[in-house]
Amino acid sequence: MLSRSQFEIAAKAFIANHDSHSHSAWSWFDSARPGYGFMSRTTIHTRPIPAHDLADEETEDDATVTIHPTHEQLTCKQYVVYSASFQVPAFYFTIHNSNGSPLPLSEIVKSSLFKLGVPDGSHATTFALTMPTSSFPLLSQGDHPILGTPCWYLHPCESANAVQELMREVQQDTWDEITRLVRWLEMWFMVLGGAVSV
Amino acid sequence: MPIVQFTPFSSIIQPDFWHKLTNLKIDVLKLSDDALTVSGSYSTGRTVKDRESGQEIALGCTIALGDGAFDEREFGVPQGSVRANGTFKNYNTIEDFKAADKTSLFNQEAEKIWNQILTTRSTALLTHFLLITYADLKKYKYYYWFAFPAFVAKPAWELNGEWKGAGGEFSSSQLGSIHTQLKLQKEPLAFFLVRTDTQDVSISPVEEYETFFANTPSSAQTIAFVDPSAAPDSPGWPLRNLLAYLRALYPATTSTVRVLCWRDEHPVVEGLEWRSRFGVLEVGGAEAAAAVTRPQAVGWEKNPQGKLGPRAADLAPMMDPKRLAEQAVDLNLKLMRWRILPALDLEKVAGTKCLLLGAGTLGCYVARTLMGWGVRTITFVDSARVSFSNPVRQPLFEFADCLDGGKPKAECAAASLKRIFPGINATGHQLSIPMPGHPIPPNPTSLAQAKADVEKLERLIDEHDAVFLLMDSRESRWLPTVISAAKGKIVLNAALGFDTFLVMRHGARASSVKEGVTRLGCYYCNDIVAPADSLTDRTLDQMCTVTRPGLAAIAGSTAVELLASLVQHPDGIYAAAPPPAQDLHATQSYAEQGGSVLGSVPHQLRGFLAQFRNMPLVGAAYDRCTGCSETVLQAYEKDGFDMLVKAFNDQKYLETLTGLDKLFDEGEAALEAVDWDEDGEGDDDF
Ligand SMILES: [Zn+2]
Repeated sequence: MLSRSQFEIAAKAFIANHDSHSHSAWSWFDSARPGYGFMSRTTIHTRPIPAHDLADEETEDDATVTIHPTHEQLTCKQYVVYSASFQVPAFYFTIHNSNGSPLPLSEIVKSSLFKLGVPDGSHATTFALTMPTSSFPLLSQGDHPILGTPCWYLHPCESANAVQELMREVQQDTWDEITRLVRWLEMWFMVLGGAVSV
Repeated sequence: MPIVQFTPFSSIIQPDFWHKLTNLKIDVLKLSDDALTVSGSYSTGRTVKDRESGQEIALGCTIALGDGAFDEREFGVPQGSVRANGTFKNYNTIEDFKAADKTSLFNQEAEKIWNQILTTRSTALLTHFLLITYADLKKYKYYYWFAFPAFVAKPAWELNGEWKGAGGEFSSSQLGSIHTQLKLQKEPLAFFLVRTDTQDVSISPVEEYETFFANTPSSAQTIAFVDPSAAPDSPGWPLRNLLAYLRALYPATTSTVRVLCWRDEHPVVEGLEWRSRFGVLEVGGAEAAAAVTRPQAVGWEKNPQGKLGPRAADLAPMMDPKRLAEQAVDLNLKLMRWRILPALDLEKVAGTKCLLLGAGTLGCYVARTLMGWGVRTITFVDSARVSFSNPVRQPLFEFADCLDGGKPKAECAAASLKRIFPGINATGHQLSIPMPGHPIPPNPTSLAQAKADVEKLERLIDEHDAVFLLMDSRESRWLPTVISAAKGKIVLNAALGFDTFLVMRHGARASSVKEGVTRLGCYYCNDIVAPADSLTDRTLDQMCTVTRPGLAAIAGSTAVELLASLVQHPDGIYAAAPPPAQDLHATQSYAEQGGSVLGSVPHQLRGFLAQFRNMPLVGAAYDRCTGCSETVLQAYEKDGFDMLVKAFNDQKYLETLTGLDKLFDEGEAALEAVDWDEDGEGDDDF
């Protein structure tokens, strides 16, 4: 578990350690309330669009290219925000198409953000008690804790233990505080990466 | 030479923009439709790898508007992006939006850009755009249309040769130097000049054209711009106005221009190609005179259908509280499937239309649990009104519902469900169900009323998939038992004693069951008497007014969970009941053990709260049953209401019809002949 200030230290060091030359690099976003900043980034996803009839496409002038896009561009805004109740970072996101309309849930889980295909349900399976590790994260809808805008988020309840377990395996006595915090956040991303592309 | 074709801008709006617009409209703009300034940004053209096909997809020539669009001071241009400003106009009605004079609005903006070029020689407005909107705040729908005015060159620009990689014109170190110099700018440059000096290159804002290119051979002059297009052979939209700018201000030296389409936000790793493009453009024809009059402009954005027309954004799924509630309910259920039971067919449960006969204690709890399963159609039937004793035990009612004689329970319960979850389709019908042992008064009015009530019940049962029998008297269950059996509906029956309950499903109709299969019984199959007036002939399960308070919740939920298990079973209403002694093993799939994905589908469950114990039972159907035997069902199907009236009015009719009367006589005789064990174990409370 992390405190809010440890989270900020870890996040800033994590950002500094990682390649900023990438379109999907994380950056730190300071909020109006000091100490309540969060990590954010924007990633681009695509989904194929059915070809439509182009016969009656209007053309304005000869010097304008007529585009026939094969894919629709989806924008995913991602945030890593400190959860005070669970004392761990929590992953918030929105996915919208080019006009700003959010994707419905059924499309979100099919999008390239999620790594796990959602099972089709055609085959029989065993009962919950025999599947102690759940494969799909607890996805919920709620307002971004700092921005106040509606978001999806992965419930942070299970992450602390998972991160702790990974930390036990890698932890070294020689680490200073910042190294430990950054490694903690990296492990957190690793846990998150089991479910979504981060 | 081929004419140069430009990739038009396509807009990307982030939901934050709509949130900001909503606030702005409510708090600041109100009914004003004055023009405001908005800011957007664009960056170098990008490609992304498609996860499915693995191919690189060139993203559109996009310009994005986000939450900072209305705040000029705070508008932070994302790293590597350049800013573009626009004129924003919001209309108050869809009619105003549609009726707006688009041509004149467009020309005004084009005029602004042109004047800025001529009077200030600034490039600041070259990417100036127009955005008109109408926000339907009640429906969370936003209509909008962008225009990115670009001047049309006449004659058109032609390409001398072809577009090639910038690496074919500049050395890697020169391109690296351009990259470094761009990064050093205080304000990101959307347009810039490149001068090649023997080895090195230098860059400069376009505004310094004359001094920067003085004494520079034309082969060392290149004009450049941050190119949002990723298409190899068509530069992005901003180039159009840059060319118009140069032609207007420096006609003598710009009939041939060397163009660098800058697409490398990040320096290129050793061994990889630079993504920027290079080409030489020429204006055909003779010495073009300096353009004094404004050239024609084009640039309304097309909608996704490829038409010149407005677009609409629907934010209801993220903003409409009703939609949010619906999604949250869906999500909750889907998580059950995704995380625990992938084989669970949620839609099958949610799509089951449920008729609840009785809106009392059981009805309330059954409805709430059905709602938890995502069931969207719940219909109540009850004849009573809410009384003062109800709210504490019947969770769909409250104190206010009891006032003024009390609201009709069925309607009140339905209204309550809608308050709890607006996405539900709940209705209530005030109806008293005619029953055996309660003769219909022999007058035309009463008979007509009874007939209407029966018809209504028949229609309701027809319209639903599952019927819950949750009334407080035994004989009122008879009519729906018969109708539902005849129509092949799922019937779930729940009855309460003081600290015991019965929850059961009725078996399928005899004529529909395959030969050799044990048909499961109905509520009346164990009886050796026909249902009658329970005021005089009371059995324990009717004493519902005195029950332990937690019992109804347990029985109600049990009934719903039995329905859920039943509809998940591939055999549905024909699912065989597990033998009472069989335990399912959690280590093996329930379906493989004869159950549904949720587990076994018992026939009856008897609960004993005194021992906190539930007991599954199987009861075979009885071929003389007054509720489900073919004799009764066929008589009902043949004579309809007339047959039912006989059953209501004549105490002996059903017993005679089924032959129970003879059996009863035999039974009495047999009973008298045996020495009855009063403390016998087989004695139960039902
Ligand atoms: Zn029966």
